[in-house]
Amino acid sequence: MESLLVKGGRVIDPATGTDSVLDLLVRDGKIAERRPSGGGRGGSQAPPGARVLEAAGRIVCPGFVDMHVHLREPGQEHKETIETGTRAAAAGGFTSIACMPNTEPWNDGLAVTEYIVSEARRRGTINVYPIGCVSKGGRGEELAEIGDMVRSGAVAVSDDGRPVANSYLMRMALEYTRIFGIPVIDHCEDRTLSAAGVMHEGYVSTVLGLKGIPAAAEEIAVGADLALAALTKGRLHIAHLSTRGSLEKVRRAREDGVPVTCEVTPHHLVLTDGAVMEGDYDPNTKMNPPLRDEEDRRALLQGLRDGTIDAIATDHAPHHLDEKLQEFDDAPFGIVGLETAVPLMMDRLVRAGVVDVKRLVELMSLNPARILGISKGTLEVGADADITLIDPELEAAVDTSLFRSKSRNSPFHGWTLRGWPVATIVGGRVVHEMQTAATR
Amino acid sequence: MIESDRTEERATRARRASRPRPGTRPPGAAPAAGSPAAGRVPRREAGSAALPAAEPLAALEHRHLLGMRGFGGEEIDLILDTAKAFAEVSTRPIKKVPTLRGKTIVNFFMEPSTRTRSSFEIAEKRLSADTLNFSPSSSSVVKGESLLDTARNLEAMAPDMIVIRHKAAGAPHFLARHCRSHIINAGDGAHEHPTQALLDAFTIREKKGRIRDLRVAIVGDLLHSRVLRSNIFLLNTMGADVVVCGPPTLIPAELARLGVAVTFRIDEAVEGADVIMMLRIQRERQQGGAFPSPREYYNLFGLTVERVRRARPDVIIMHPGPMNRGIEIDSAVADGPFSVILEQVTNGVAVRMAVLYLLAGGTLGELAG
Repeated sequence: MESLLVKGGRVIDPATGTDSVLDLLVRDGKIAERRPSGGGRGGSQAPPGARVLEAAGRIVCPGFVDMHVHLREPGQEHKETIETGTRAAAAGGFTSIACMPNTEPWNDGLAVTEYIVSEARRRGTINVYPIGCVSKGGRGEELAEIGDMVRSGAVAVSDDGRPVANSYLMRMALEYTRIFGIPVIDHCEDRTLSAAGVMHEGYVSTVLGLKGIPAAAEEIAVGADLALAALTKGRLHIAHLSTRGSLEKVRRAREDGVPVTCEVTPHHLVLTDGAVMEGDYDPNTKMNPPLRDEEDRRALLQGLRDGTIDAIATDHAPHHLDEKLQEFDDAPFGIVGLETAVPLMMDRLVRAGVVDVKRLVELMSLNPARILGISKGTLEVGADADITLIDPELEAAVDTSLFRSKSRNSPFHGWTLRGWPVATIVGGRVVHEMQTAATR
Repeated sequence: MIESDRTEERATRARRASRPRPGTRPPGAAPAAGSPAAGRVPRREAGSAALPAAEPLAALEHRHLLGMRGFGGEEIDLILDTAKAFAEVSTRPIKKVPTLRGKTIVNFFMEPSTRTRSSFEIAEKRLSADTLNFSPSSSSVVKGESLLDTARNLEAMAPDMIVIRHKAAGAPHFLARHCRSHIINAGDGAHEHPTQALLDAFTIREKKGRIRDLRVAIVGDLLHSRVLRSNIFLLNTMGADVVVCGPPTLIPAELARLGVAVTFRIDEAVEGADVIMMLRIQRERQQGGAFPSPREYYNLFGLTVERVRRARPDVIIMHPGPMNRGIEIDSAVADGPFSVILEQVTNGVAVRMAVLYLLAGGTLGELAG
């Protein structure tokens, strides 16, 4: 396999405590050497035949890992496929993604897991890790054949899109998955409270006359899950945590030694329920959990800083234009996120001084890799050469018409952001390079 | 709070106002029926909305009537003054004026309605507009056509205005985004029902001579009521003192932040009231369980003759209809001396004539001349 020299970039690798200008030599898909960059003297000599990627002025970090993606295949290929979803991920700076099982049919056993793995190998651009169902058909009745799915490549289980509503089943799942050491990822929502709700319940839902989803709908489920995690010592991961109350529960549980991790989405970090009003009922502001209020948003930012939040995950939820071009009540929940997450977080977190780049790399690469138990998220010698290059000064507007994803359902169209991924390397192969004047 | 929201909304709408439309009068000409784009189009000098008016408004600033939120006092006064002029038409032996001759108006009612729909239809006919009624049972909607496609097909027939009633909040905003016609919201989910609030305001003004500083009690199902929201926005803008009352299970989150007093006790709400507005218990919208029984609701929240005695001696009793007699209101009150419920219906026609006329680009001056 060809070798590659990533030259003169600012290498940020939290796993090894690295933040310095280095040359990375990649050989046979692995990080072969890390050398101090030569600066003015020209630096490392590339081995004969090696491709050189000039990275001066760029951030070079372990490839980003998105642990919450809906690839829609099999069954909903009009929204997204493994091929288009992984291309979108590569363009967004992600080298590994984990895909949720709510496909048609649900990924609840060997057959669908193997289909995803083989399809990803054949047509995928980056690494794809399936997440299997907790329960057969995601119906919340009895455990799916988790062992089979793990053997075929599943890295976690979840009934995402539906909460595991039954405490007994959740207990079984948290206990049973201890065999495999994989996390149970739960979408926390008490559906008797959220029923028919379409946005966060509060001042804005009252003004707009839309049915609300109270914060308590999430917090009740988080509380129940934490109690079960404490009981079982199973690994609980809370998906797309969105309220200050949920965050506080996680913080306390962790102090008590409960094995819990959690993720938040970029949109809950940068938008509030006010976006529904400003957008005049724009269906691209409808997601579940809903955009919360400003106090919740601020609490999540604090959670990023103090370490309560482990990961940022997109909950990339592609929907066809026709599905979103409906009345707010009828439009499906969710937005795409793969192609906007990194610039949003670079601009709104790093540039705004909420967290530094090192912490962002932890949140979007190292930590999600650790939670999923995959050997990614680091640039140490010998590691897989999955690398993301970011130009921290590149400023551009989000243009949904340029998305690689099949879907365009993003509330961020037209936002000008600074700090974009400019090259994505998977297993030593450059799978995406942004073609702009600024990157030449 | 509320004021700053409005400012933001204006800014948002102004930004959106960009799509040109063929067949409109050139900029600077008299207010035209088809001004460009959605939302508010400043017809006076820029920024004038924030300044005190030197003289009464001649024409509407809004291109659509989507809700009362964002409507200023001058615009509301203009509509009410225009309605006053039209009220006279309905008393003539020949109840028709040629004002909207040649205009086409589509009544697009996706939810059952008798009162509002008939009221709009009569208003349109008295203005000599051509009307088309479009409802789910007689339409392609039952065949699964999307709102967008239905709207586009209606648009293809080049109507001047679309009056929409829809179960989904924001459906009129959706149409406004995708259609060139003027959109009038005739009730969208639990959001707004602006012409109801306007006819309520007209009725109050007729009876009381003013709206400012009146104590208005609004009682009933506050959660599902679009009439409530439109009335709160309008009455607050016009300087009334609004108190709302209902069971806590039927009060939306943070309602007090809209600038109203909230109570669970009807006796407190109606105490010293100049106006009592009863809201219908919307049994078809209840998830169930918001109160134990109609009987108990009547005992706790029903408007009885005894309770009316707590109000001012010249109180007026209003109800947007249809009434649930014996649940939210006693028949003795509904049909009693303080009730103006049927006058509301009469005034509805005049107010809707005014709205249609003004949105078509009419001015009060022309009408008087």
